[in-house]
Amino acid sequence: MSGKMRILTSVVVIGVVAAGLGVFIVRGPGPLDFAGGTKVALADYRAGKPTGVPAKLEKASLVERGEYLAKAADCMVCHTKPGEKEYSGGLSFKLPFGTLYSTNITPDRDTGIGNYSDQEFLNAVQHGKRRDGARLYPAMPYTSYTFMTDEDVLAVKAYLFSLPAIRAKAPDNTLSFPFNQRWAMIFWSAVFNPDTRFTPNTSKSPEWNRGAYLAEALAHCGECHTPRNLGFALDNRKKFGGALTAGWRAFNISSDKATGLGNWSDADLISYLSLGHAPGHGSASGPMGEAVDHSFSQFAPEDISSIVAYLRSVPPVPSPDLPATTAPVAPASHKDGVTADARGKMLFAGACASCHGWSGESPVSPMATLTGTWAVNDPAATNVAQIVISGTKRHTPDGALSMPAFGNAYTNDEIAAVANYVTARFGTKGSKLTAKDVAELREQTAE
Amino acid sequence: MHMATVLTINGEAKSFDAPPDMPLLWVLRDVLGMTGTKFGCGIAQCGACTVHVDGKAVRSCVLPVGAVANRAITTIEHVGSTPAGAKVQKAWLEAEVIQCGYCQSGQIMAAAALLATTPNPDDSDIDAAMAGNICRCGTYVRIREAIKHAANGKQS
Repeated sequence: MSGKMRILTSVVVIGVVAAGLGVFIVRGPGPLDFAGGTKVALADYRAGKPTGVPAKLEKASLVERGEYLAKAADCMVCHTKPGEKEYSGGLSFKLPFGTLYSTNITPDRDTGIGNYSDQEFLNAVQHGKRRDGARLYPAMPYTSYTFMTDEDVLAVKAYLFSLPAIRAKAPDNTLSFPFNQRWAMIFWSAVFNPDTRFTPNTSKSPEWNRGAYLAEALAHCGECHTPRNLGFALDNRKKFGGALTAGWRAFNISSDKATGLGNWSDADLISYLSLGHAPGHGSASGPMGEAVDHSFSQFAPEDISSIVAYLRSVPPVPSPDLPATTAPVAPASHKDGVTADARGKMLFAGACASCHGWSGESPVSPMATLTGTWAVNDPAATNVAQIVISGTKRHTPDGALSMPAFGNAYTNDEIAAVANYVTARFGTKGSKLTAKDVAELREQTAE
Repeated sequence: MHMATVLTINGEAKSFDAPPDMPLLWVLRDVLGMTGTKFGCGIAQCGACTVHVDGKAVRSCVLPVGAVANRAITTIEHVGSTPAGAKVQKAWLEAEVIQCGYCQSGQIMAAAALLATTPNPDDSDIDAAMAGNICRCGTYVRIREAIKHAANGKQS
């Protein structure tokens, strides 16, 4: 080998190693790597059954099992445009580089998935590959669904194929260059899709393994609650540390005591997941409200407990921008406490005080209590503004409780003022939202 | 699903069949025939449906009956037998507050709850307690006057 060749070879080798190292660093650990321990193939795991449906559905038909799993994977919410038929697609995903639309996954042959074979369906759900060979964008969380067993994915398919076929073509995506180059997703997928089925961890309990399967393969919690890396994939170094997704803040669900779930009791977590509310912790709204309504509220109780056991094991990741403790109850009189935004106070008196009270403890229902919620203790006020804009509704065994949407009634200035007042009065630090901030928040959630 | 529910309304136990998610307002008006409490907006934004639950003014149009079992409910039919309610009603008549009257049972309930906790309210207290009660006739000036009158027992 000549000297020149040797130098060239070295440069290429160094380049390849550097690129590999770069990919390794950006990619970081997988979603279950934190747990350590010994993993075995699913077929060799004897301690329990982490995959599939709960015991009560073990003997149910394939379609019924698929229905449970489809709900656990929460397919419907993303594959349905509000007001349209379920699973017929067309929901928009507003990204910094354009808008994506979800697809019709009813069995319509022209516009849905009616022509998908079992293998083609597996390719889409586990590998992010469409029937025509094109690559899916990771708005479809196939990097999570890839952990599902073939059996479970095909049960979901059987359920979807049992639904009425609906003819509905989603609008074309409006992504800008280079993001409109679908083929490039081959490389993204090669780096960021673990492309592996769930492997039980024998160092952990059967309950933990079931929880891990439900949370990672099906419920895809991390897709909203884990921050993203440079490649727009999940950064599991900060697993469940919280992130902004679709204009809402998905709060920290790691085991951090101050800003995560470390101080929530099991009963709180079970209540929040199954009912969308836990006393003193507020109510699920926005995307989490949808996840509760359409997914978690349908889970078998033992599956909810498994998820709780799993969440407890996720290492603490602090959210430095949140206070170490949430603010106590505000004074009963409007005169006492923080005087922040006079305009915000006026709006609060007219539109909010009758349900939320001046102390933040609702005279109507614990579900409307503001005290103790992260939304009012987040100095960015993201979710306060979003709930004011779009309202919220919670269904419980005792009936539905709802807050109207004020987005059409109030200007951006007014919404900023009331959010700033609410965070100052009921939270630890008042927000400084401007009309422009509110306009941007509206933009991210507008359908 | 209908369930037998017992609520304590105006000091009496009232039994009726209603699903737990039915708003208290519907139970009052349609099931129990107590039509003094009015339906306005249905989204807790006008105050016409205000009643007291454990002495606090709440909007009955958004309050599921399932959430108020074991809590004391007072409506416009009975508020005159509370000290604050009696004072408010008297002041309302003396100041001729009412024009069309549709919002007034809600106004009176809100004012009575205010006086029960704040016997001598100033303007800002009245704003904080009454801003959520809308009156399309614009009787706000007389409402404010009557609340002050009720508070100190004389014409302000």
